[in-house]
Amino acid sequence: MSDEAEQELTEEEQRVADAEDVWVFIEEHAGDVMNVSWELLAEGRKLADKIDQKLVAVVIGEDVDDVAEEAIQRGADLALVADDPVFEPYRADPYGTQFRHMVEEKNPSIVLIGGTHTGRDFAGRVAVPTWAGLTADVTVLDVEEDGLLLAKRPAFGGNVLATIVCEDHRPQMATVRAGVFEAAEPDPDRDGEIEHVEVVVGEDDTISEVLEREIGDTADITDADRIVAVGGGIEGDVGPAVELAEALDAELAASRKAVDEGWVEASRQVGQTGKTVRPELYVALGISGAIQHLEGMKDSGVVVAINDDPNAAIFEHADYGIVGDIFEIVPELVEAIESGAELTEVAQ
Amino acid sequence: MSDGWTIVVGVKQVPDSDEVTIDPDTGRLDRANAPAVLNSPDRNALEAALALRDEVGGKVIAITMGPPNAAAVLEEAVAMGCDDAALITDRAFAGSDTWPTSYTLAEAVKYFDADVVVCGEETTDSSTGQVPPGIAAHNDWAQLTYVEDLEPRPEENRLVAVRDVEGGHERVAADLPVVVAFAFGENVPRPAGLHRKIYAENEFEPMEITAEDLGIDPDEVGLDASPTQVGGMDTVSPVDRKEQKFETAEELFEALAETEVFS
Repeated sequence: MSDEAEQELTEEEQRVADAEDVWVFIEEHAGDVMNVSWELLAEGRKLADKIDQKLVAVVIGEDVDDVAEEAIQRGADLALVADDPVFEPYRADPYGTQFRHMVEEKNPSIVLIGGTHTGRDFAGRVAVPTWAGLTADVTVLDVEEDGLLLAKRPAFGGNVLATIVCEDHRPQMATVRAGVFEAAEPDPDRDGEIEHVEVVVGEDDTISEVLEREIGDTADITDADRIVAVGGGIEGDVGPAVELAEALDAELAASRKAVDEGWVEASRQVGQTGKTVRPELYVALGISGAIQHLEGMKDSGVVVAINDDPNAAIFEHADYGIVGDIFEIVPELVEAIESGAELTEVAQ
Repeated sequence: MSDGWTIVVGVKQVPDSDEVTIDPDTGRLDRANAPAVLNSPDRNALEAALALRDEVGGKVIAITMGPPNAAAVLEEAVAMGCDDAALITDRAFAGSDTWPTSYTLAEAVKYFDADVVVCGEETTDSSTGQVPPGIAAHNDWAQLTYVEDLEPRPEENRLVAVRDVEGGHERVAADLPVVVAFAFGENVPRPAGLHRKIYAENEFEPMEITAEDLGIDPDEVGLDASPTQVGGMDTVSPVDRKEQKFETAEELFEALAETEVFS
């Protein structure tokens, strides 16, 4: 028994010693690539250069050669392509099985996956069977000279960054938050290799079936440049907030309180149990500023708070604030914006 | 045909996130003094599980992994309507990251011969969301994450879910057994009935299940079996804000007009 355990340990140690290359999962749906994948490719390039290893793009889907080519143009040395109808649309089980097979065959050192629903859905499907370390929701990445990945993630409430390391297992996997890194522009002259890998999953092996898929029916507040967010202080009347959002060409968002009350749909919730946003402008209406909410919006550009409670914590995290009644101030603000816009048009 | 499903709900005790405060000296969060409560997304998971049972018949068993005092959340689950509950507890589990945690829970749901496992989307204390897919992966079962609605099809031995995907939704059918991670806030958890509450508090005792009961080698769980370790902590300096207050909307608009947000 102990001999066997020692044997296993040695194999695992060997695997750690032999692991190389930085892999980035390129998430695509029907040919459309999620921007976070390009962001990770740019960041992965830096990591790979630092440890003098290859940057590999992993492309899984159907008819995805052009995606693989774009991955090369955006920094990959090699694109591994698994091309088969079984991969469209995404399902956890065939993606997980295929990716796992590739990991076992090629033993990458680092695997980066976008922290989208899809990325978070299938990362564990790879990490578990390969006994890899998997860190969620990473916002800062670095690598030591010996190849140890330093994956930093906000710990509870977000004012602490925990560094997570994985010394004894490979690959070192991380799901990484969207919008943290900047994508590199494609360079059509960049050279790289495209390798089609064996597809190891067949439709008969799958245990799930996508019956319908409809994209475009929910707002994605994570991409919005401007956000008007509402909290408990709006007392169920989202009208003024909606008007302000229209005047600013902003997306409507909400705190957990406003979602729990049913005033705003859950997909628009900002905060620890909701979404992380980083718009240029964040207007908080009747939001008290609980740390769970701040966690989701603290990286916004300009923060404006309107609340009738002068002691609301949100004012300490805002650039501009007005202590007062939302239902009086917001319509005035809408008016100011609309007449301001007219002035700009006249001036032009 | 099926004579009902065995539905296992994974729940977790977490520090009450509304009560977590910031230590003014260190700037760090003080979690230790926050009361322990049921992870709020788990309430949605419990409701989803109970609603499934209402539709297809069978039973709902709540499980939690943790020290003996974690059993308090099981009482709440039973008060809401779960038929039974189990505390998965063993010193060997201490320090487990998501890998051994999901392994332990994967063995536990097999122990109960689960058809469906329902979890909350993530926990409010660690927010990884990795455990439900981990349970499914360990058992090679189907998984449905970010689920907003469930539609059981017992005659097909399948569960259909409406899932939130980036920018939209999809309907996915999965073969049983299946692990569901139910999206936070997407259903209305039922209140605990008075009689049920009294029963849960006074008469009910959860089962206790150890690593040995599950046939788990203690070396395969706990801190040493966890691939990830915390390598350090940095405090993050909060973004400096102007904290400038105005009296009128006009003043606010003028200040905004000087920033780049309107350009």
